Amino acid sequence: MKTLIKILLLSSILLLSSCATVISGSRQNVEISSEPSSVKVYLNEIDIGKTPVNKNLKRNQEYQLTLKLEGYKTYETKLVKKFNAWFIGNILIGGVIGIMVDPSTGAVYKLRPEEIDKNLKSGTTYKTKSGNLYIKISMQIDPSWKKVGQLEKSIKD
Amino acid sequence: MKLMTKILFLITIIGFTNCSPKLSTNFTNAQPKLSIDDKVAFLDIEHNLPENIIKVGKLRFQDSGFSTDCNFNSLLNKARIEARKNGANIVKIIDKKKPDIWSTCYRLKIELYRFNGDVSSLPQYKLKLD
Repeated sequence: MKTLIKILLLSSILLLSSCATVISGSRQNVEISSEPSSVKVYLNEIDIGKTPVNKNLKRNQEYQLTLKLEGYKTYETKLVKKFNAWFIGNILIGGVIGIMVDPSTGAVYKLRPEEIDKNLKSGTTYKTKSGNLYIKISMQIDPSWKKVGQLEKSIKD
Repeated sequence: MKLMTKILFLITIIGFTNCSPKLSTNFTNAQPKLSIDDKVAFLDIEHNLPENIIKVGKLRFQDSGFSTDCNFNSLLNKARIEARKNGANIVKIIDKKKPDIWSTCYRLKIELYRFNGDVSSLPQYKLKLD
């Protein structure tokens, strides 16, 4: 009977290890939207489309996020790795395997916009829901651009 | 039990402190810094260097033992950051070891160059998002 308990205990530890990998996965869904919309989005200088845009990103990497729109200042920030609290589950249940597996899959991290002196880059807001990251960016008008006119459709009778 | 806690703590510390690949740099002729708008070309082993270039320095990416962010595209992105900081617009891979039984990481030897021409016209490797 004691052996059975030991086997069950060992199985539980093995199955419940790698907490963060099991709960969060090695990738995180990131949605980027902006005001105004239809802004070109680049991750590590790779064009990934126009806002709003979704991307499933690896948790074990950091990314340079850039948004570009004519007439607006180029927006730049980093998506950085932060500690994923699910990892603590390994320490609580003594999951040695989890402690090794979670960092290797990247599940020990969660992606967040970079903060400098605990402040996000101006114009940045974000929220998380069900592990997904939603970032909203307000683009700032580039004062070096001046409106010189406007083309209008002529209406013929 | 105390020993177990110590081991877990040690593994956790090691895991958090060594997840980046080891980067060795050697800049012999740094040039004025480049901006994010300046293009940087990635020349893989099979791509040839153009003529009239200035050698800026060397980079070497190795596995620190617990590296996780060490795939090919990620390392090249890090190399590009170093290149711009030191005024180089060509990242030339001179030696590439793929992940194998000894390491789950790419290991690269890179040379950085400054080219006073349009680097986007050079045959090059296009960076991808993994």
